[in-house]
Amino acid sequence: MRVIANHDLCQGHARCEDLCPEVFATDAVEGKVVIADPEVPAGLEDKVRLAVRNCPEGALRVARSDGAAGEGAGQ
Amino acid sequence: MTLKFQPSPPDHVPADRMVDFDMFHIPEGVSDPAEIWHDLVRRGVPEIFYTPHNGGHWVFLNYADIVEGYRNYSIFSTYQTPVPPIEPFPVVQPQGVDPPEHNVFRRLLAPMFTPTAVRGMTAELERRAAVLIDRFVARGECDFITDFAERYPTALFLYLFGLPEERLDEFLVLANTFFRSTDPAARAQNITEIYAVLDALFREKERNPGGDIASAIVAARDAEGRQHPWEDILNCGFLLFVAGLDTVTNTMAYIWRYLATTPAARKHFRDRLDDPDAFLLGIEELMRINAVSNLFRRVTHDCEYKGVQLRRNDRVILPNTVANRDPRVFKDPQVIDLDREVNVHLTFGVGPHRCIGSVLAKREVMASLQQWLRRIPEFTLAENQPAGSVFGGSVMGFTALRLHWDVATGKAAADQSSTIERM
Repeated sequence: MRVIANHDLCQGHARCEDLCPEVFATDAVEGKVVIADPEVPAGLEDKVRLAVRNCPEGALRVARSDGAAGEGAGQ
Repeated sequence: MTLKFQPSPPDHVPADRMVDFDMFHIPEGVSDPAEIWHDLVRRGVPEIFYTPHNGGHWVFLNYADIVEGYRNYSIFSTYQTPVPPIEPFPVVQPQGVDPPEHNVFRRLLAPMFTPTAVRGMTAELERRAAVLIDRFVARGECDFITDFAERYPTALFLYLFGLPEERLDEFLVLANTFFRSTDPAARAQNITEIYAVLDALFREKERNPGGDIASAIVAARDAEGRQHPWEDILNCGFLLFVAGLDTVTNTMAYIWRYLATTPAARKHFRDRLDDPDAFLLGIEELMRINAVSNLFRRVTHDCEYKGVQLRRNDRVILPNTVANRDPRVFKDPQVIDLDREVNVHLTFGVGPHRCIGSVLAKREVMASLQQWLRRIPEFTLAENQPAGSVFGGSVMGFTALRLHWDVATGKAAADQSSTIERM
């Protein structure tokens, strides 16, 4: 599973970092999401999905590692 | 002077969208000012309606339209928005300007409010909460507003701006006049005083810079290497002064009022004092259910929105408290679920003007509640609540909230907690 951020939509709420700091961080200059490695480590899939669904901007999306489209944010 | 941002008479509003609603008027006997908004939903008024009160304005009542009001700045501007309309109105930076100009100060402030920056403040957030609570804990009672909820965010403003703690009372007077005075002469004088204080502060930080936000703002340079216009610097200081005080004060008032009447919620947070992730999840739900801000926008040009004719300069109100209980977005929206998993509340807005201090605000509430529960694990509303202590408007809240607790129980809990900390 991969997780992808749209930086045009991200407004730096940092809800994703609160919910899954193992995958999401916030950059120190613009205050937007940073995903060091879009490949989600095994065992963190549920936490990442929860972070995606809690993004108030709908700026996060998960995709299958083979590149096929996956589910997006809750809005 | 020609007035440029006055709404036109509502002859473009059809009769079936006209509702008699005054956001500043809380009827006698209403103990929660947010209820006047939820009452609109219960009455089934149109989800986009117009009221002639307060200079005339639209109200959006569903989540999707409120999101559009925040995001679509080509129609819904933050420039010159006051309700009732006032001209000229200070252009606070960066809240009062639209993208792309808005990005200049937004980018300047963003690094100071990231999770990493706020984590660096945690010890100070906790210390300042503890200092305030320790002053009254042995009394067994307090007025939560004047003893804590007003003082705490004001104390943190001093900290963020590199000002000495001794100036707290002076800043409290400035803030209280700003937020509560209804006397036009006192208000005008107050704004002059706030700007004079900010001017002196920024001049001082220009001469003797520190690691604080005021120093960073005054030291910042634009793309050509020049300092930002002094007026913008002052307006940015003004925004940071007014935006982080009243909102935090009243959010806390709502939260402590709820906790004082809900033993299970107190226990929920007490049981999670050593589990910050779970604690924060509960704070997030309290943020959803206690959204105190009703934000203003101004229509930029005559247009049709969802079949409704809007005119340039029409005002639009976005009530977060209504969006946050929209059943199309939230499962069981009226239920306060402190473990709620999906919670895309709009308490801090969305889009380019998302509250830049949202991470800090949540950490302020969290640090305060942690320090409070370690000292005062059980508390209730005092029986003698003063009448008429609620207010509506762009920020809703309380002018008084008397709390009561048993001193012996609190002391036992504090001793136990300090024993655990020593272990």
